[in-house]
Amino acid sequence: MRKFLTTTVAFAALTTMAQAQDGYFAGKTIDVIVPFGTGGATYVSAKFLEPYFEKHLPGNPEINVIDRPGGGSILGANWFEQNAKADGSTILFTTSSTANPFVLGQEGVEYRLSDYRVAYSHPFGAVAYVSPSTGVTDAASIKNSSSPLVYGGIAAAASDLPGLLSFEVLGIDVKSVLGFTGRGPVRLAFEQGEVNIDYQFTPVWLTQVVPSVEEGNAVPLWTGGAMDGGVLKARDPVAPDLPSVYEVYQTMNGQPPSGIEWEAFQGIASVTYAYGLTGYLHPDAPQEALDAFAAAVEAINADPEFQAASQDVTGGARLSAGPDTEATIKAALSPSEEVKTYLRSLLSEKYGVKF
Amino acid sequence: MIDNALIALDALFEPMRLAALFAGMLVGMIFGMLPGLGGVAAVSILLPFIYYLDDYSGLAMLLGAVSVVYTSDTITSVLLGAPGSPASAPTAIEGHALAKQGQAARALGVGFLASMVGGLVGSLVLFFAIPIAGPIVLMLSTPELFTLALVGLFFASSMIGKDLAKGLAAAALGVLLGVVGPAQAAADFRFTFGQVYLLDGFSLTIVALGLFGVAEVISMLAQGGGISNQKMEVTHWGEGFRDFWRNRWLVLRASLIGVLGGFVPAVGASASTWVAYGHAIRSTKDKSKFGKGEIRGIAASEGANNATVISDLVPTLLFSVPGGPAAAIFLGALFSFGYYPGPRMVTQNPDLMFLIVWSVALSSIVGAGLCFAVTPMLARLTRIPFAIIAAPLVLVMVIGAYQATSTIGDIFMLFMLGALGWLMKHGGWPRAPALVGFVLSSPMEQYFWLTNQIHGWSWVTRPGVLIIASIIVIPLLISGVRRLRQWQSGEAVASEAEGVPAEQCNHSLALVLAALASALFLYALWETFTFNPASRLMPLLAIAPGVPLTLWLVLRGVREYRSDLGRDAGELRILAVLLAYAVALWAIGLTIPTLVLLGWMLLAKAQMRIWTATLYGAVVFGLIWFLFDVLRGDPPVGALIPFN
Repeated sequence: MRKFLTTTVAFAALTTMAQAQDGYFAGKTIDVIVPFGTGGATYVSAKFLEPYFEKHLPGNPEINVIDRPGGGSILGANWFEQNAKADGSTILFTTSSTANPFVLGQEGVEYRLSDYRVAYSHPFGAVAYVSPSTGVTDAASIKNSSSPLVYGGIAAAASDLPGLLSFEVLGIDVKSVLGFTGRGPVRLAFEQGEVNIDYQFTPVWLTQVVPSVEEGNAVPLWTGGAMDGGVLKARDPVAPDLPSVYEVYQTMNGQPPSGIEWEAFQGIASVTYAYGLTGYLHPDAPQEALDAFAAAVEAINADPEFQAASQDVTGGARLSAGPDTEATIKAALSPSEEVKTYLRSLLSEKYGVKF
Repeated sequence: MIDNALIALDALFEPMRLAALFAGMLVGMIFGMLPGLGGVAAVSILLPFIYYLDDYSGLAMLLGAVSVVYTSDTITSVLLGAPGSPASAPTAIEGHALAKQGQAARALGVGFLASMVGGLVGSLVLFFAIPIAGPIVLMLSTPELFTLALVGLFFASSMIGKDLAKGLAAAALGVLLGVVGPAQAAADFRFTFGQVYLLDGFSLTIVALGLFGVAEVISMLAQGGGISNQKMEVTHWGEGFRDFWRNRWLVLRASLIGVLGGFVPAVGASASTWVAYGHAIRSTKDKSKFGKGEIRGIAASEGANNATVISDLVPTLLFSVPGGPAAAIFLGALFSFGYYPGPRMVTQNPDLMFLIVWSVALSSIVGAGLCFAVTPMLARLTRIPFAIIAAPLVLVMVIGAYQATSTIGDIFMLFMLGALGWLMKHGGWPRAPALVGFVLSSPMEQYFWLTNQIHGWSWVTRPGVLIIASIIVIPLLISGVRRLRQWQSGEAVASEAEGVPAEQCNHSLALVLAALASALFLYALWETFTFNPASRLMPLLAIAPGVPLTLWLVLRGVREYRSDLGRDAGELRILAVLLAYAVALWAIGLTIPTLVLLGWMLLAKAQMRIWTATLYGAVVFGLIWFLFDVLRGDPPVGALIPFN
């Protein structure tokens, strides 16, 4: 049925938009592979972006979003490794859940993520907040918590990693309880008072946590930050009132963060937050396809319809593409041996992860 | 509040929206009937279409599908004995047994009505979601959830049956299957043998289809003839209505169990259905008919599963935490229409809340009515030779299993678990405890771990825990006191664990299964010592009783050994064909093996004439391709010959 639908829509597009038929993607169909289930945040984001790419990519290709869940995203990414087309018409749209196992060299990873080309990227900011029962009123007073801080997460090596690393950078003593099935249940456990410090990603922050903050049931702390000249120090536009982890460190210690903890945090956090959702292409994808995506991203960011919709959904976040984006992502995907060793020993000693 | 409810009702009764709701219901009904394909498949297939509709129509369409899946799956479970969806496995056990006795109408009538009541109770709970259900969900913290899982285990114990050793071994085997994959407590992947496929563990759909569906198909293919030897009368619904009315309180209690199951995020309809089924066994005086066709088993499980899918929407709408897989997709749809569920949505969009309530309530009633209407036609199918139905049935199960990850592993797993289910069926191991063990093992482990991490042992005295624990303790005390009195007055103590009767046992197969299971447990024991200590607890809970039990069963098997393998040789051959089919799918893709299998079933098994077989086979093959296309777009491609 999907194919049937595709064909009818494609016919309709052919007849109405005959004038736009001379771009790189003219007459092509793009498959966006999401290695998670339907209804998950990544799938919803892919569906959200779909119409804008259809509208602004040269040649107005038909876009199919296809879910391939399994193995914590490893199965879908492995499928992409084997089946992606080299012309740039297959996209792997994924998060740090795919990047972290690759960076850490986990078993079962067949995909060579750092060889892939980066088509576009969308930030996926995260905001930390704490329960008022701890007596903490802002980021600076986090170390004066009146009760032990308890953080709930899914697994150390998954999307919880940057959050855990931020605690290492700031030197906060947090007990992490891992083993929840998703960030939603963690959010519920926060409401129930079982955990008292939490990170949530932008959409949940805007729709769930902000109302809690207004009711006085949550105290916002800081954001993961945004990229500024290759350093993860700027404020996240989603919550411009909140400092970034970089700023919090600076306020606490009077000097900018440095050292192996910071490097590890910056690398992992940039692929998780600043480039949270990234569309990857086959390693041999032609420059023409990459240019087409870069142009489309520029057009989408300028599209008033997109601007209005993204204001509601992501607090007005913008897409990014082009050589700078690709360079930063690739740098984060191939960290120095030192950072790798640090991450592996932290994960195996503190969290029992085996390599 | 009443105003909003009326406005929403008015909004729903717009022709376009009603049409969308009914279209959704039709798709839901069809997918409910197809074994292995359920709410998730129905909702994901509708997902692309809803974007062509306005928000209310689109959401009504999805809700229509979600609310009737667990009503129409009763039809497949009763008539074919293969669970229409994992949560209707108890219905398949009891309902199919009744159908074989010519009482399909009774089983179906009770099933439909119980489903309807379950749906309506779920809708009512949604209606009061804001004032009542919200606080209840917030009260269910991890300790309470762990206690609930214990209650489930307690109810499940009533399914062990007469042969204690085999029943317990089956439960332990189920728990062992449930711990495959990522450990909840520490970063261990258990029993994955280096296969990426196993990193997520087994899919519930595949386990339920394998243990029950495949095994059932094999037996019926070997028997030949129709599904029922007697003519199935499904025109007289009177007895079903009377049975339903007699068990109305049980249905209501089961629905409430289902509602609670829905409140717990990520514990699906399956768990609450088994709990309700266990409750039905416990609360029935004469337990002898369970497993052989007990109408109360159907009433309880159908009431529960429908209530669960609808109350799954409560945590979804109030906290943005999907209660189950279909609810997760519904949540995605809400996002894409620009609704962000959470405390705000309930006050900002009360009309939408009530639209949802009306949609599910209306679909529950109309869905049950539609099921009553179509069943007499479908029941005629049960008279034709089973081999004719088996061909499409096996293929639909393959597609259903393939939904899990769309890799060939799904298909191998389906038939391997099918072989296990078949061995259990003939070896006299009850399959229900195995499935319950599988369903409960991961929530039990997760909540135990989280509870102990967060609360230490202080959780034991939480009021919620005590209230829930009283569900176990009070009946135990009552029955203990009763026994004491009986003993004092010198009466014979009635045996309690009548339960599910041992299925007719083939001694050679029982020995094979016991040997196989003991090898599995011994291997698991060895591998368990490589895990982090926190990840060992749950596997050991299965292995500690599993090893001695299975070793003892091997010993017993050797002692009781009789050379009776020949009795089931016909079935063994069919199993071998199905396993060969899976291997062929892997090697040379979908088309050729499927055509061969179709030909074998239709010509050799059903003995159709060549022309009718060709025509029918072509239609079935076309439908299978259509289904693959609709659901996935790409059937398995051969590994040796790259062809699909």
